[in-house]
Amino acid sequence: MNNYFSQILDIIKKQNPIHYKRLNKMLSEQDSEFTIRAEKFFTQYVNYLNKNGKTLNYAVDCYLKMLADIAYEHIKFLESGKYSSSSFNEVLQRVYSNPQVMEYYMHGLLLSQFLWEQHYQILKFFTKGILQRKKQINRYLEIGAGHGLYISEAINLLNKDTLFDLVDISETSLNMSKEFIDEKERVNFYKEDIYQYNKLSYYNFITMGEVLEHVEKPLELLLKVNSLLCEGGEAFITTPTNAPAIDHITLFSNVQEIRDLMKKAKLEITEEVVLPSEKVTEEVANELKITILYGAFVKKI
Amino acid sequence: MERNEILKQIQEVFREIFSKSDMTISEITSPVEVEEWDSLNHIQIVVALEKKFKIKFTSLELQNWRNVGDIINSIQNKIKN
Repeated sequence: MNNYFSQILDIIKKQNPIHYKRLNKMLSEQDSEFTIRAEKFFTQYVNYLNKNGKTLNYAVDCYLKMLADIAYEHIKFLESGKYSSSSFNEVLQRVYSNPQVMEYYMHGLLLSQFLWEQHYQILKFFTKGILQRKKQINRYLEIGAGHGLYISEAINLLNKDTLFDLVDISETSLNMSKEFIDEKERVNFYKEDIYQYNKLSYYNFITMGEVLEHVEKPLELLLKVNSLLCEGGEAFITTPTNAPAIDHITLFSNVQEIRDLMKKAKLEITEEVVLPSEKVTEEVANELKITILYGAFVKKI
Repeated sequence: MERNEILKQIQEVFREIFSKSDMTISEITSPVEVEEWDSLNHIQIVVALEKKFKIKFTSLELQNWRNVGDIINSIQNKIKN
Protein backbone atom coordinates (compact mmCIF):
# COMPACT_ATOMS: atom_id res chain seq x y z
CA MET A 1 0.00 0.00 0.00
CA ASN A 2 1.54 3.27 -1.11
CA ASN A 3 -0.27 5.52 1.35
CA TYR A 4 -0.39 8.43 -1.00
CA PHE A 5 -2.74 10.31 1.30
CA SER A 6 -0.02 10.46 3.96
CA GLN A 7 2.53 11.59 1.39
CA ILE A 8 0.18 14.35 0.27
CA LEU A 9 -0.38 15.40 3.88
CA ASP A 10 3.37 15.56 4.51
CA ILE A 11 3.88 17.86 1.52
CA ILE A 12 0.97 20.08 2.51
CA LYS A 13 2.13 20.27 6.16
CA LYS A 14 5.28 22.13 5.09
CA GLN A 15 3.50 24.57 2.81
CA ASN A 16 0.03 25.24 4.17
CA PRO A 17 -0.37 24.51 7.89
CA ILE A 18 -4.01 25.65 7.96
CA HIS A 19 -5.05 23.24 5.27
CA TYR A 20 -2.90 20.51 6.78
CA LYS A 21 -4.84 20.80 10.07
CA ARG A 22 -8.13 20.51 8.21
CA LEU A 23 -7.04 17.49 6.18
CA ASN A 24 -5.53 15.72 9.18
CA LYS A 25 -8.78 16.12 11.10
CA MET A 26 -10.81 15.00 8.09
CA LEU A 27 -8.69 11.91 7.60
CA SER A 28 -9.01 10.95 11.27
CA GLU A 29 -12.80 10.90 10.88
CA GLN A 30 -12.92 8.66 7.79
CA ASP A 31 -13.48 4.93 7.65
CA SER A 32 -11.63 2.17 5.84
CA GLU A 33 -13.90 2.48 2.80
CA PHE A 34 -12.60 6.02 2.32
CA THR A 35 -8.99 4.89 2.67
CA ILE A 36 -9.44 2.15 0.08
CA ARG A 37 -11.22 4.42 -2.42
CA ALA A 38 -8.81 7.31 -1.89
CA GLU A 39 -5.73 5.15 -2.32
CA LYS A 40 -7.14 3.59 -5.48
CA PHE A 41 -7.83 7.01 -6.93
CA PHE A 42 -4.46 8.44 -5.90
CA THR A 43 -2.67 5.40 -7.35
CA GLN A 44 -4.38 6.00 -10.71
CA TYR A 45 -3.56 9.67 -10.44
CA VAL A 46 0.13 9.10 -9.63
CA ASN A 47 0.38 6.73 -12.62
CA TYR A 48 -1.13 9.46 -14.77
CA LEU A 49 1.35 12.00 -13.35
CA ASN A 50 4.31 9.71 -13.94
CA LYS A 51 3.21 9.02 -17.53
CA ASN A 52 3.28 12.76 -18.10
CA GLY A 53 6.65 13.32 -16.42
CA LYS A 54 5.16 14.92 -13.31
CA THR A 55 5.41 14.17 -9.59
CA LEU A 56 3.09 14.17 -6.62
CA ASN A 57 4.94 17.26 -5.33
CA TYR A 58 4.01 19.03 -8.54
CA ALA A 59 0.37 17.99 -8.18
CA VAL A 60 0.20 19.23 -4.59
CA ASP A 61 1.76 22.55 -5.65
CA CYS A 62 -1.04 22.86 -8.22
CA TYR A 63 -3.64 22.03 -5.59
CA LEU A 64 -2.30 24.64 -3.16
CA LYS A 65 -2.21 27.23 -5.92
CA MET A 66 -5.85 26.45 -6.66
CA LEU A 67 -6.68 26.83 -2.95
CA ALA A 68 -4.98 30.22 -2.89
CA ASP A 69 -7.03 31.27 -5.93
CA ILE A 70 -10.20 30.15 -4.20
CA ALA A 71 -9.28 32.07 -1.04
CA TYR A 72 -8.57 35.16 -3.13
CA GLU A 73 -11.85 34.77 -5.04
CA HIS A 74 -13.70 34.27 -1.76
CA ILE A 75 -12.34 37.51 -0.32
CA LYS A 76 -13.42 39.42 -3.43
CA PHE A 77 -16.81 37.66 -3.28
CA LEU A 78 -17.39 38.69 0.35
CA GLU A 79 -16.72 42.31 -0.63
CA SER A 80 -18.76 42.40 -3.84
CA GLY A 81 -21.41 39.72 -3.35
CA LYS A 82 -20.72 38.54 -6.92
CA TYR A 83 -18.49 36.04 -8.67
CA SER A 84 -15.57 37.73 -10.42
CA SER A 85 -16.60 36.32 -13.83
CA SER A 86 -20.09 36.49 -15.24
CA SER A 87 -19.78 35.25 -18.79
CA PHE A 88 -18.45 32.18 -20.55
CA ASN A 89 -16.21 34.36 -22.72
CA GLU A 90 -14.51 35.76 -19.63
CA VAL A 91 -13.71 32.32 -18.20
CA LEU A 92 -12.74 31.08 -21.64
CA GLN A 93 -10.06 33.79 -21.83
CA ARG A 94 -9.09 33.63 -18.20
CA VAL A 95 -9.06 29.86 -17.72
CA TYR A 96 -10.01 27.46 -20.52
CA SER A 97 -7.84 29.05 -23.21
CA ASN A 98 -4.97 29.62 -20.82
CA PRO A 99 -2.86 26.43 -20.73
CA GLN A 100 -0.85 27.49 -17.65
CA VAL A 101 -4.00 28.09 -15.63
CA MET A 102 -5.77 24.98 -16.96
CA GLU A 103 -2.76 22.83 -16.05
CA TYR A 104 -2.69 23.67 -12.37
CA TYR A 105 -6.45 24.01 -12.08
CA MET A 106 -7.16 20.53 -13.50
CA HIS A 107 -4.61 18.92 -11.19
CA GLY A 108 -5.98 20.87 -8.23
CA LEU A 109 -9.54 19.75 -8.97
CA LEU A 110 -8.44 16.15 -9.31
CA LEU A 111 -6.84 16.12 -5.86
CA SER A 112 -9.87 17.85 -4.35
CA GLN A 113 -12.01 14.79 -5.15
CA PHE A 114 -10.66 13.08 -2.04
CA LEU A 115 -9.14 15.99 -0.13
CA TRP A 116 -12.45 17.81 0.17
CA GLU A 117 -14.82 15.90 2.36
CA GLN A 118 -17.95 17.19 0.60
CA HIS A 119 -16.76 15.72 -2.69
CA TYR A 120 -16.33 12.32 -1.11
CA GLN A 121 -19.66 12.48 0.74
CA ILE A 122 -21.51 13.36 -2.43
CA LEU A 123 -19.81 10.49 -4.27
CA LYS A 124 -21.08 8.13 -1.56
CA PHE A 125 -24.59 9.60 -1.86
CA PHE A 126 -24.45 9.02 -5.61
CA THR A 127 -23.20 5.46 -5.22
CA LYS A 128 -26.01 4.57 -2.81
CA GLY A 129 -28.64 6.14 -5.05
CA ILE A 130 -27.41 4.47 -8.24
CA LEU A 131 -27.50 1.07 -6.55
CA GLN A 132 -31.11 1.64 -5.48
CA ARG A 133 -32.04 2.56 -9.06
CA LYS A 134 -30.11 -0.22 -10.74
CA LYS A 135 -33.11 -2.02 -12.22
CA GLN A 136 -34.39 1.12 -13.99
CA ILE A 137 -31.11 2.08 -15.67
CA ASN A 138 -29.77 0.71 -18.93
CA ARG A 139 -29.01 3.91 -20.88
CA TYR A 140 -26.68 6.19 -18.89
CA LEU A 141 -25.35 9.58 -19.93
CA GLU A 142 -22.76 11.67 -18.11
CA ILE A 143 -22.46 15.38 -18.96
CA GLY A 144 -19.00 16.80 -18.22
CA ALA A 145 -16.10 14.35 -18.18
CA GLY A 146 -14.31 15.59 -15.09
CA HIS A 147 -12.47 12.96 -13.08
CA GLY A 148 -14.49 9.97 -14.25
CA LEU A 149 -15.35 8.89 -10.71
CA TYR A 150 -19.13 8.94 -11.10
CA ILE A 151 -19.21 7.02 -14.36
CA SER A 152 -16.69 4.52 -12.95
CA GLU A 153 -19.03 3.89 -10.00
CA ALA A 154 -21.96 3.52 -12.38
CA ILE A 155 -20.08 1.04 -14.60
CA ASN A 156 -19.17 -0.94 -11.50
CA LEU A 157 -22.70 -1.07 -10.12
CA LEU A 158 -25.06 -1.19 -13.08
CA ASN A 159 -25.93 -4.18 -15.23
CA LYS A 160 -23.45 -5.40 -17.83
CA ASP A 161 -25.75 -4.54 -20.74
CA THR A 162 -26.00 -0.85 -19.75
CA LEU A 163 -25.04 1.68 -22.43
CA PHE A 164 -22.67 4.42 -21.21
CA ASP A 165 -22.27 7.71 -23.08
CA LEU A 166 -20.11 10.63 -21.95
CA VAL A 167 -20.30 14.11 -23.46
CA ASP A 168 -17.87 16.99 -22.99
CA ILE A 169 -17.08 20.01 -25.13
CA SER A 170 -13.38 19.73 -24.23
CA GLU A 171 -11.06 17.12 -25.75
CA THR A 172 -8.62 17.73 -22.87
CA SER A 173 -11.29 16.86 -20.31
CA LEU A 174 -12.35 13.76 -22.23
CA ASN A 175 -8.77 12.55 -22.48
CA MET A 176 -8.09 13.18 -18.83
CA SER A 177 -11.22 11.33 -17.73
CA LYS A 178 -10.12 8.28 -19.74
CA GLU A 179 -7.18 7.98 -17.35
CA PHE A 180 -9.52 7.42 -14.43
CA ILE A 181 -12.45 5.53 -15.87
CA ASP A 182 -12.38 1.83 -15.12
CA GLU A 183 -13.47 -0.22 -18.13
CA LYS A 184 -13.31 2.78 -20.44
CA GLU A 185 -13.92 0.50 -23.40
CA ARG A 186 -17.55 0.34 -22.25
CA VAL A 187 -17.98 4.11 -22.65
CA ASN A 188 -18.80 6.05 -25.83
CA PHE A 189 -17.00 9.39 -25.62
CA TYR A 190 -18.49 12.34 -27.47
CA LYS A 191 -16.67 15.60 -27.95
CA GLU A 192 -19.72 17.77 -28.37
CA ASP A 193 -21.57 20.79 -27.08
CA ILE A 194 -24.36 19.37 -24.92
CA TYR A 195 -26.83 21.88 -26.34
CA GLN A 196 -26.26 20.34 -29.80
CA TYR A 197 -26.39 16.75 -28.53
CA ASN A 198 -29.57 15.22 -29.88
CA LYS A 199 -30.33 11.84 -28.38
CA LEU A 200 -33.64 13.25 -27.19
CA SER A 201 -35.87 11.27 -24.79
CA TYR A 202 -33.27 8.50 -24.87
CA TYR A 203 -31.65 8.11 -21.47
CA ASN A 204 -33.14 6.69 -18.30
CA PHE A 205 -30.32 8.18 -16.23
CA ILE A 206 -28.13 11.29 -16.56
CA THR A 207 -25.32 12.44 -14.27
CA MET A 208 -24.20 16.06 -14.32
CA GLY A 209 -21.77 16.89 -11.52
CA GLU A 210 -20.74 20.51 -10.88
CA VAL A 211 -21.55 21.86 -14.34
CA LEU A 212 -24.45 24.25 -13.65
CA GLU A 213 -22.27 26.87 -11.98
CA HIS A 214 -20.07 27.02 -15.09
CA VAL A 215 -22.81 28.07 -17.52
CA GLU A 216 -24.49 31.41 -18.10
CA LYS A 217 -28.00 29.95 -18.39
CA PRO A 218 -28.40 27.04 -15.98
CA LEU A 219 -32.16 26.75 -16.62
CA GLU A 220 -31.49 26.15 -20.31
CA LEU A 221 -29.05 23.40 -19.40
CA LEU A 222 -31.51 21.76 -17.01
CA LEU A 223 -34.21 21.90 -19.68
CA LYS A 224 -31.77 20.19 -22.03
CA VAL A 225 -31.19 17.48 -19.42
CA ASN A 226 -34.96 17.04 -19.18
CA SER A 227 -35.24 16.73 -22.98
CA LEU A 228 -32.58 13.99 -23.07
CA LEU A 229 -34.39 11.90 -20.46
CA CYS A 230 -37.00 9.37 -21.46
CA GLU A 231 -40.35 9.34 -19.64
CA GLY A 232 -39.77 8.61 -15.96
CA GLY A 233 -36.03 9.07 -16.42
CA GLU A 234 -33.90 10.35 -13.58
CA ALA A 235 -30.80 12.46 -13.17
CA PHE A 236 -28.18 13.14 -10.52
CA ILE A 237 -27.16 16.78 -10.45
CA THR A 238 -24.73 18.58 -8.16
CA THR A 239 -23.77 22.23 -7.86
CA PRO A 240 -22.51 24.51 -5.06
CA THR A 241 -23.82 27.68 -3.47
CA ASN A 242 -21.59 30.66 -2.63
CA ALA A 243 -18.59 29.03 -4.31
CA PRO A 244 -16.42 31.67 -5.94
CA ALA A 245 -13.83 30.14 -8.25
CA ILE A 246 -11.90 31.31 -11.27
CA ASP A 247 -14.36 29.66 -13.68
CA HIS A 248 -17.68 29.87 -11.86
CA ILE A 249 -20.23 32.11 -13.53
CA THR A 250 -23.65 31.39 -12.04
CA LEU A 251 -24.05 32.20 -8.37
CA PHE A 252 -26.58 30.26 -6.32
CA SER A 253 -26.93 32.11 -3.01
CA ASN A 254 -28.76 29.29 -1.27
CA VAL A 255 -30.04 25.80 -1.91
CA GLN A 256 -33.64 26.94 -2.41
CA GLU A 257 -32.58 28.80 -5.57
CA ILE A 258 -31.30 25.49 -6.97
CA ARG A 259 -34.51 23.68 -5.97
CA ASP A 260 -36.60 26.40 -7.62
CA LEU A 261 -34.60 26.05 -10.84
CA MET A 262 -35.12 22.28 -10.88
CA LYS A 263 -38.85 22.87 -10.55
CA LYS A 264 -38.83 25.33 -13.48
CA ALA A 265 -37.02 22.70 -15.56
CA LYS A 266 -39.72 20.16 -14.66
CA LEU A 267 -37.32 18.02 -12.69
CA GLU A 268 -38.82 16.75 -9.45
CA ILE A 269 -36.36 16.31 -6.58
CA THR A 270 -36.70 12.80 -5.14
CA GLU A 271 -33.62 12.74 -2.88
CA GLU A 272 -31.14 15.41 -1.94
CA VAL A 273 -28.08 16.10 0.17
CA VAL A 274 -26.90 19.47 1.50
CA LEU A 275 -23.21 19.60 2.50
CA PRO A 276 -21.77 22.82 3.99
CA SER A 277 -18.00 23.03 3.55
CA GLU A 278 -17.56 23.98 7.20
CA LYS A 279 -19.17 22.34 10.21
CA VAL A 280 -22.08 24.79 10.42
CA THR A 281 -25.80 24.57 9.71
CA GLU A 282 -27.25 25.44 6.32
CA GLU A 283 -28.64 28.68 7.76
CA VAL A 284 -25.29 29.80 9.18
CA ALA A 285 -23.59 28.80 5.90
CA ASN A 286 -25.99 31.00 3.93
CA GLU A 287 -25.57 33.91 6.33
CA LEU A 288 -21.76 33.76 6.26
CA LYS A 289 -21.63 32.84 2.58
CA ILE A 290 -19.91 29.55 3.30
CA THR A 291 -19.96 27.17 0.35
CA ILE A 292 -22.55 24.40 0.36
CA LEU A 293 -22.32 21.49 -2.05
CA TYR A 294 -25.80 20.39 -3.10
CA GLY A 295 -26.69 17.13 -4.80
CA ALA A 296 -30.04 15.73 -5.85
CA PHE A 297 -31.63 12.83 -7.65
CA VAL A 298 -34.37 14.31 -9.80
CA LYS A 299 -37.12 12.77 -11.93
CA LYS A 300 -38.40 14.03 -15.26
CA ILE A 301 -42.02 15.26 -14.97
CA MET B 1 6.41 50.73 8.86
CA GLU B 2 8.58 48.70 11.26
CA ARG B 3 7.97 44.99 11.64
CA ASN B 4 7.15 45.36 15.34
CA GLU B 5 4.44 47.88 14.59
CA ILE B 6 2.96 45.63 11.91
CA LEU B 7 3.08 42.70 14.33
CA LYS B 8 1.20 44.75 16.95
CA GLN B 9 -1.55 45.55 14.47
CA ILE B 10 -1.79 41.95 13.31
CA GLN B 11 -2.07 40.93 16.96
CA GLU B 12 -5.03 43.31 17.37
CA VAL B 13 -6.74 41.63 14.44
CA PHE B 14 -6.06 38.16 15.84
CA ARG B 15 -7.41 39.17 19.26
CA GLU B 16 -10.62 40.35 17.66
CA ILE B 17 -11.09 37.42 15.28
CA PHE B 18 -10.36 34.83 17.97
CA SER B 19 -12.13 36.80 20.73
CA LYS B 20 -9.04 36.54 22.97
CA SER B 21 -8.12 39.95 24.37
CA ASP B 22 -4.90 38.64 25.91
CA MET B 23 -3.67 36.71 22.87
CA THR B 24 0.02 37.24 22.13
CA ILE B 25 1.65 36.34 18.84
CA SER B 26 5.15 36.48 17.46
CA GLU B 27 6.63 36.23 13.98
CA ILE B 28 6.91 32.46 14.33
CA THR B 29 3.30 31.97 15.39
CA SER B 30 1.70 29.62 12.90
CA PRO B 31 -1.71 27.95 12.52
CA VAL B 32 -0.18 24.84 14.06
CA GLU B 33 -0.02 26.56 17.46
CA VAL B 34 -3.36 28.35 17.24
CA GLU B 35 -6.13 25.77 17.26
CA GLU B 36 -8.85 28.18 16.15
CA TRP B 37 -6.81 29.45 13.18
CA ASP B 38 -8.70 27.51 10.54
CA SER B 39 -9.65 28.27 6.94
CA LEU B 40 -12.83 30.11 7.96
CA ASN B 41 -11.04 32.39 10.43
CA HIS B 42 -8.16 32.78 8.00
CA ILE B 43 -10.41 34.45 5.43
CA GLN B 44 -11.67 36.81 8.14
CA ILE B 45 -8.07 37.58 9.13
CA VAL B 46 -7.15 38.40 5.53
CA VAL B 47 -10.20 40.65 5.08
CA ALA B 48 -9.46 42.45 8.35
CA LEU B 49 -5.77 42.95 7.48
CA GLU B 50 -6.63 44.30 4.02
CA LYS B 51 -8.98 46.79 5.66
CA LYS B 52 -6.56 47.76 8.43
CA PHE B 53 -3.56 48.33 6.16
CA LYS B 54 -5.59 49.50 3.15
CA ILE B 55 -3.97 46.93 0.89
CA LYS B 56 -5.04 43.98 -1.29
CA PHE B 57 -3.22 40.67 -1.22
CA THR B 58 -2.72 38.58 -4.34
CA SER B 59 -3.45 34.86 -4.47
CA LEU B 60 0.29 34.22 -4.76
CA GLU B 61 0.88 36.03 -1.48
CA LEU B 62 -1.93 34.11 0.21
CA GLN B 63 -0.38 30.86 -1.00
CA ASN B 64 2.98 31.57 0.61
CA TRP B 65 1.95 32.32 4.20
CA ARG B 66 3.18 29.75 6.73
CA ASN B 67 3.36 31.96 9.82
CA VAL B 68 2.86 35.51 11.04
CA GLY B 69 6.35 36.46 9.82
CA ASP B 70 5.28 35.66 6.25
CA ILE B 71 2.23 37.87 6.69
CA ILE B 72 4.44 40.71 7.93
CA ASN B 73 6.69 40.27 4.87
CA SER B 74 3.69 40.62 2.54
CA ILE B 75 2.37 43.67 4.36
CA GLN B 76 5.77 45.37 4.49
CA ASN B 77 6.31 44.80 0.75
CA LYS B 78 2.92 46.22 -0.06
CA ILE B 79 3.28 49.27 2.16
CA LYS B 80 6.76 49.96 0.71
CA ASN B 81 5.34 49.89 -2.81
